[in-house]
Amino acid sequence: MGIPFGYVLALAGIVVVLGMICATTRRNLIMILLGVEVMLNGAAIAFIAAALRWQQLEGQAFVLFIIAIAAAEVSLGLALIVYLYHRTGSLNPEDYQVLK
Amino acid sequence: MIAVGSTDTTLLAAIAATKLPFVAFAVILLLTRRRPRLSAGLSLTAIAVSLASAGFLLVKHWGIARPIEYAALWLAGGDVSVRVGILIDPLSLIMLAVVAAICLLVQVYSLGYMAGDPGFSRYYAFMSLFAWAMTNLTLAPTLLQLYIFWELVGLASYLLIGFWYEKFSASEAGKKAFVMTRCGDVAFFLGLLLILVHLGNLDIRELNGAAAGRLSPTVVTAGALLIFGGIIGKSAQFPLLTWLPDAMEGPTPVSALLHSATMVAAGVYLFARLFPFFSLSPTALGVCLAVGTVSMLIASTMAMVSRDIKQVWAYSTISQLGLMIMGLAAGNYVAGVFHLTTHAAFKALLFLCSGVFIHAFHSNDMVVIGRQGGRRLRVPMACLVIAAAALSGIPPFSGYFSKERILGALADLPNPLWVAAGLLGAFLTTYYTFRLIFIILFPAPGGEDTAQSHGSEHGHHGGYAVMAWPLVILAAVSVALGFGEKAVAQFLLNPFGSVTPAAAHHAWLPYAALGLSAAAMLLAWFEFGRRGAGQIGFVERVAPLHALFGERWYIDRAYRWLLDQVVYRLFSRLCARNDQKIIDGAVDGLGRVIAAGGGRMSILHTGMVQYRLIVVFVSIALMAIYFFI
Amino acid sequence: MTLFNMLFFAIAALIVASTAIAITRRNLVHAVIYLIFGFFGSAFLFYLFGSPFLAALMVIVYAGAIMILFLFIIMMLRVEAPEEHLFPPRQMLPAVFFAAAYVAIGGLLLINDPSAGAPLTEARTEPAEFGRYIFTQNWLAVEIASLLLLVTIIGALLVGQRPAREDEE
Repeated sequence: MGIPFGYVLALAGIVVVLGMICATTRRNLIMILLGVEVMLNGAAIAFIAAALRWQQLEGQAFVLFIIAIAAAEVSLGLALIVYLYHRTGSLNPEDYQVLK
Repeated sequence: MIAVGSTDTTLLAAIAATKLPFVAFAVILLLTRRRPRLSAGLSLTAIAVSLASAGFLLVKHWGIARPIEYAALWLAGGDVSVRVGILIDPLSLIMLAVVAAICLLVQVYSLGYMAGDPGFSRYYAFMSLFAWAMTNLTLAPTLLQLYIFWELVGLASYLLIGFWYEKFSASEAGKKAFVMTRCGDVAFFLGLLLILVHLGNLDIRELNGAAAGRLSPTVVTAGALLIFGGIIGKSAQFPLLTWLPDAMEGPTPVSALLHSATMVAAGVYLFARLFPFFSLSPTALGVCLAVGTVSMLIASTMAMVSRDIKQVWAYSTISQLGLMIMGLAAGNYVAGVFHLTTHAAFKALLFLCSGVFIHAFHSNDMVVIGRQGGRRLRVPMACLVIAAAALSGIPPFSGYFSKERILGALADLPNPLWVAAGLLGAFLTTYYTFRLIFIILFPAPGGEDTAQSHGSEHGHHGGYAVMAWPLVILAAVSVALGFGEKAVAQFLLNPFGSVTPAAAHHAWLPYAALGLSAAAMLLAWFEFGRRGAGQIGFVERVAPLHALFGERWYIDRAYRWLLDQVVYRLFSRLCARNDQKIIDGAVDGLGRVIAAGGGRMSILHTGMVQYRLIVVFVSIALMAIYFFI
Repeated sequence: MTLFNMLFFAIAALIVASTAIAITRRNLVHAVIYLIFGFFGSAFLFYLFGSPFLAALMVIVYAGAIMILFLFIIMMLRVEAPEEHLFPPRQMLPAVFFAAAYVAIGGLLLINDPSAGAPLTEARTEPAEFGRYIFTQNWLAVEIASLLLLVTIIGALLVGQRPAREDEE
């Protein structure tokens, strides 16, 4: 018993960084969205650990909302991706340069 | 501005005198343009009340020693303050009375002269505008107020010269007058600014009082000369004198009112108004004297060859204004102002008489008028002779007294050149005046046959009686005014204490002036008046001289050349180049810089979602550093 | 080293490994499958940290619904293995640089934070207790979240509808 809180935070940080790398480097809209999910997951881990650390339920409540928002974000994001794919036939973010 | 409801009759009268014409102007323009008789009635009522108020003020304050001033602060900022209001002192009272009286007479006369004109209402509106501006100019306590109304007077002049705007030459003349007077006004305004900067206010009383002594002599000289620039423009002095003859394109009553009696005299009035200020700078006085002399002589010579009756009086106006400025610049305040007063009367009379002839014979040419029987119009002819005599300085008439005073002042100067110039001017004046009189009175044989038909026709022109009455009144004034010389001089000098400058007595001067006048009259009679005279002046015998005088000393040509060479060739080109190269270049350059900058910046704008994501993360990282470390 | 600690390290290794593999897959289906393992790991961790309800939610919503949605879309669009240039250096270099900076800063923060070393004590939140807490203390947030989901449904419907219409025209 007795994992230091810092370890869990470090784990959460690593997960967030992995998600960040995924979101910023993969040339695929679906992978970008996956990266965002991974980052949200990392945040959720940090919140759970904090709830345990301070013995407060707010952290867990936050995780609940994170899950809800992630669900909303994913469904809308995927709908947009489908829409864009139908319009342009590509998932590469480099091809979305109409405004440039 | 000024407390209303005051029981101060002076204030009420002054407000009535200065504000009513504006009411008439506004009402005519806004409401009664379609009803000419009502418009004329309004305008006449306003100016009549104005005259009554002016007369009341003159009688009430006859002999005041201290000026009365009503003023309210209008602009104040830092150590600069400008006020508006009313200043009543002998000079402004006399000028106000002159302006109101001549305005009223001319407006009555115009009832006949302008009858049936399609722009009758407009004419009276502009006349009221002029009356308003001129009365306010007269009573202005500060130079700024004076300047504002000075410009309004110029506007009224422009509108009235170009009154028959469908005539090309009239609208051209209006523009010319406006632009040329504006040249002088720029100098005037610069002078105002100079004084404002150095003195902190523009009060005429302070400028004339001890405050001006605080200014350095250089500033006084520069300010006086700049203000004199405005006077040159407004009073048509050399070198800005050529607009006045062209201004005769306007209706004759307008010429009588604006371009001889009152508006152009505003310049001289300003000089008299600031007389103590000008006196502080001998240099400025010297320049004024020279300009006045040159203008007087040049204009006289021009008048000697013109055949257009109104042009002759226009040149004569310039020359008489020059004479007034000479009198003032010679240091004799009373002489200048008194000549201004008498000149207003007899010159308005001259113009109005000429107006009757022009109205009757539809010609400005004095020879034509003479041939067609101008002498049969007895009342105008008699009045014309009286006025001409006054202009020439023949003894019982008013011009004699005022001219003698000016010549006396000139004789007081150490340099005899000035008095010689003055006497020469008097000689020329008499010559051209009587040349005109004799040509009309004793027309050369040959044209008499047409005279009968036209002579009987004149009675049919409407409004002859209404035009004749102002003539008679003005003629009476021209005769009588001279005998009030002593009283007026005393009245004018009151504010300066009772120190009447004891004029050195020049016993020879009246005889010399009279002798020269008589000689000029004889010469004119010999050339134009006697039976069988060739009606060819001695000037016309010398072709180059004639050309020189007839072409107005080539002043207009010089202006044309200057305009072509300097303004069109040089300034316009410079301005065009400035427009194209600098302004356009600046605007284009700005656009180009922005476009180029946008091009550079668009590298950042890759249209790639993930770069933005990276930027977001970077900023989060920076915020983390800022907040936690 | 207690069982608890061992479990934590094992789960942490599972999460990091599966996530790292997931984000480097060229094949999107593989990536999603690996990520599902990562999310299962998170669910274990939640259970370990005393919130079985959230662990169940994680499995149902994340691994069950969201990831299946991803799979569904990938298969619908037939983009299982697009010709993707993996990790282009133009994006990789700044990303790695900033990730390293991020990790460094985070590490510094953790080392310097005195409370980071505080050991986590065991605790357990019953689903009933958690539900009561949520619906008494945070009912407004729940309402807002439900509203957000409603908006999302409508938005997704709208977005999904339009191309069909354009095709008809």
